[in-house]
Amino acid sequence: MNKQAAPMDGRLYPGEVIVDTAVFRLEGVTKRYGDLVALDDATLEVGANEYLSFLGPSGSGKTTLLRVIAGFEAPEKGRVHFEGRDITNVPAHERGIGFVFQNFALFPHLTVVQNVGFGLKHGKSGLSDAEVERRAAEMIALVGLSGMEGRGVDQISGGQRQRVALARTLTMKPKLVLLDEPLGALDANLRSRMRNELRAIREQLGVTFLHVTGSETEALAMGDRVVVLDRGKIIQIGTPGALYAQPASPDVAHFLNRFNLFDGQLAKGSFTGAFGTVAAPRVTRSDRDVYAVRYDRVQVLPLSTKPQGPALKATFIASEYLGSSIMNFFDAGQGHPIEMEHHLSLGAPDIYEPRQDYLLTWNPEQALVFGREAG
Amino acid sequence: MTSTVTIQERQTKVTRWLLIPGIIWMSLFLVVPIAMIVYVSFWTQTTFTITSDPTLASWRQFFSSDTYTGSLWTTIRIWLIVLATTFIVGYPTALFVGLFVKSKTLSTVLLVICVIPFWTSFLIRVLAWRPMLGKEGAINIVLLKLGIIQQPIEVLLFTELSVIIGMTQIYCVFMVGPIAFMLSRIDRNIIEAARDLGAGFGRIFWKIIFPLSLPGVIVGAIFVSVMVLGEFATSGALSGRKVNLLGNIIVTQVGSLKWAMASVVGVVLTIVMGIVIAGFLRIVDLKREL
Repeated sequence: MNKQAAPMDGRLYPGEVIVDTAVFRLEGVTKRYGDLVALDDATLEVGANEYLSFLGPSGSGKTTLLRVIAGFEAPEKGRVHFEGRDITNVPAHERGIGFVFQNFALFPHLTVVQNVGFGLKHGKSGLSDAEVERRAAEMIALVGLSGMEGRGVDQISGGQRQRVALARTLTMKPKLVLLDEPLGALDANLRSRMRNELRAIREQLGVTFLHVTGSETEALAMGDRVVVLDRGKIIQIGTPGALYAQPASPDVAHFLNRFNLFDGQLAKGSFTGAFGTVAAPRVTRSDRDVYAVRYDRVQVLPLSTKPQGPALKATFIASEYLGSSIMNFFDAGQGHPIEMEHHLSLGAPDIYEPRQDYLLTWNPEQALVFGREAG
Repeated sequence: MTSTVTIQERQTKVTRWLLIPGIIWMSLFLVVPIAMIVYVSFWTQTTFTITSDPTLASWRQFFSSDTYTGSLWTTIRIWLIVLATTFIVGYPTALFVGLFVKSKTLSTVLLVICVIPFWTSFLIRVLAWRPMLGKEGAINIVLLKLGIIQQPIEVLLFTELSVIIGMTQIYCVFMVGPIAFMLSRIDRNIIEAARDLGAGFGRIFWKIIFPLSLPGVIVGAIFVSVMVLGEFATSGALSGRKVNLLGNIIVTQVGSLKWAMASVVGVVLTIVMGIVIAGFLRIVDLKREL
């Protein structure tokens, strides 16, 4: 964000002012569990009031990253900065960073209001009981649980528990809130409602959120920016739009779950794969040659058509109705499934016969090519 | 219509069949004997014979004799002290085994180690304290050699203290087990959440860990109470006949064929245990916790 901030040794040049808009900064953070490198040289800056989602498969290190930021784990290397100070060695409870656990981790023997007020009552706030009660009630109202203050946490639903967990963290007025797959335990309906509520809460409180998720839909929907992790490494940081339009690597394209990926060979500006040889004018550098076509860019033609450009014979298997679009699944042999999405706003879908062969094609201009031979 | 048996009716039938063995067993070996003891406590006892003529003589004798009431108070005193010592020694152990040890395997191994003394017989475990605590026992020898004491400590053996030491060692594991079990079920995230909310270790312990382990403490306390209240062997072997618990009275009365008096003491003991257990069960709702 601001590369001119401060020299590496921390001293200022004469006349220089730190222009640090970043609330939070990670510098080369590395964490190992035995031989397993859970986090590999992670560097990241997060601005004030930003919503950052972390996307990656399980085991990609996203939860570890969150735990290092929260202070539950100490990194082997690297520094963690928060609000202009180095908090690498500051214990969790002195960091002022809120953490919402995947399983909510509510105190099972306490009521809703006791859960929400726990931090104020037993932390270092020094508030009177009446003030604790008032602030807890205020936060309970914010998350829409008024009237449930006296209930035990085993007497409320999953979605309500999620809100108690959120309220419990937010009463501490943290500048940064870490959400570890907060919506994972909820059903689809509740998930989308909680997404809206998280957004509303964020508008009201001006808190920076770091949201870990395994769901690409959630990551793209919630994040101002999305951080993609794989095997402990940050492999791309960008806005959802940028990520979607231009994944930095085949892995990112794979996690986004919106691209058909083809292996093949890139040579002299053209890519040879199962679909023939196609010109590849723009190539993104990568350690392997991969050709990616977005689901909604694939076109289906009858087998009799004479193809122009890339073409692939594939058997239609089944389709899935998604409301605003239809997902069609094809098998191109060797267990290579190909997905094709038809937006219903573009007109009624074609009907395909199961076990019939079709010709799949696309406009090569709209494909993404990754390869060792970058142009 | 007659042939249709609803699922509910069928389940009721199954329930009944499943209950029968338990009911028969409990009636034969619990309800009938207790009723019998209560009945016998009102029988007429002479020196050599006992007749079923109803009388309150044995009951009067129990409550008018200092020996018997004194032994009731001794039993309650020793029970309370042993309950406290097993808790004081057991809780930190359970805290370590159940919560601080992160590996499940290691915590199981540690619990098994706690149980190893039980592989020897009860009597050996009790008698083994004699060479430990005696005037020329291991503890006195070590303390003398180290120059910490000049004279051997004599209160160690054949006193109430030796009974308490012996019982604490024997029954401690019954306190450790249930507490460690409850502690191991606490979600670690809860503790991290409390820490994240700014609570220090003391607060986390008293407000989160201890309340969540309370059902384990209660179960452990019930185990220890039931066993200590009915004790006679440890006090017999380690007190040199100076500590007479209700259990010891029963043993001597039965030994001299005083069935009526033995029954009175038995009934008193059963009532005390009933009150103690009912009291413990009021503290936590075990149905909800387990």
